[in-house]
Amino acid sequence: MKQIRVAIADDHTLVRVGLARLLSSYPAIKVVGTAKDGAAAIELAKDKQPAVFLLDMAMPQLNGLAAIPYVKAVSPDTHILVLSMYDEAEYVQAALEKGAAGLVSKTISADDLYAAIVSVAQGKCLSAEKPLTAREREVVALLADGKTNDQIGSSLGISTKTVGHHCQRAMEKLDIHTRAGLVAYAVRIGLNRKN
Amino acid sequence: MNRIRVVLGDDHNLVRQGIRALLGLSHICVVGEAKDGRELVRQVKELTPEVALIDISLPLLNGIEAARKISHVAPKTRVIFLTMYQDRGYVTQAQEVGAWGYVLKEEAPEQLITTIETVANGRHCFPSELAGETVRIEGKKLGPREREVLQLIAEGKKNKDIARIMIRSLHTVRNHRAHIMRKLGVHTAAELVQAANEMGLVRLEALGDKS
Repeated sequence: MKQIRVAIADDHTLVRVGLARLLSSYPAIKVVGTAKDGAAAIELAKDKQPAVFLLDMAMPQLNGLAAIPYVKAVSPDTHILVLSMYDEAEYVQAALEKGAAGLVSKTISADDLYAAIVSVAQGKCLSAEKPLTAREREVVALLADGKTNDQIGSSLGISTKTVGHHCQRAMEKLDIHTRAGLVAYAVRIGLNRKN
Repeated sequence: MNRIRVVLGDDHNLVRQGIRALLGLSHICVVGEAKDGRELVRQVKELTPEVALIDISLPLLNGIEAARKISHVAPKTRVIFLTMYQDRGYVTQAQEVGAWGYVLKEEAPEQLITTIETVANGRHCFPSELAGETVRIEGKKLGPREREVLQLIAEGKKNKDIARIMIRSLHTVRNHRAHIMRKLGVHTAAELVQAANEMGLVRLEALGDKS
């Protein structure tokens, strides 16, 4: 049987070593190396040319998303799977746009991670959910800045009712049920920082 | 040496499974796992392990508040925090709720095992670089129940869900909410979420903040 050669980058040693140990227990996987930041990940990719690279999203030096094009440049056949604390559609979209084959949340089980690795090793991509529209993002960003629907409406030149509509749509897409939940989402993905 | 029984609280399945795999080769035995603070308190109460290894940012009830409850329901269980945060504020809070140890996720597995052994043997174990003067914590003005409610609000829970999770009446939850807003002097959902974030009840870090 041909093993899938996997590399892992995560700045938290306990997580990195734990993941390596977990994945090594699958006979179909061979862990060929680990790295503790984005820069080391690029070196490792160049050196080992792994079939699949697990890149943690939040790493010092160069975060997981930023490292994707560099890893692809030094090892074009490597399929990249981004590991994240969160699995919001925004992140999935960003990872795919950078050239990753997918993004998985650390809340999944080892068996699910294994299935994802096998899948991307075969050249498949893990699909993104529906991302928010530009207007929905604007509304949610202003909401997170503490604006009322009235204030959001006048600053965007749309009616208060339309603002409510955008909030509702965003909540449905994200499966969020309160305004506070929407605010927390916006802060987490950095929407409220004026981008 | 006797086996040390540990219950593990972390919302990331991959991290829990990884830690379990790392401890598997030692005499430390993970007897229970929980993915949120409330499940953790139940497990610790039932299993009364020597050690509870707890991530600080846990959903439904964060690690600090969970440790506070554990000190009541399972006073013999010693709490060790396992966290990515090198944050003196958290260390201060950890000590206030009676934690015995504090391990960073960037440490090597050997350090985790040493900390668990040290604590199981009745000695405290905090990283020396994070010791020192305590840090004043904002949000002291809220009571424990109010902090629980505020975390759940910031996690996007509706009042009726909060009532169910906390096993309280809807009326009580609404009262807590009103008290929180008055004590903090805030009026909007955005301000409530921000307050919860500043108090460390939830961690809302935007992508790329670490780089």
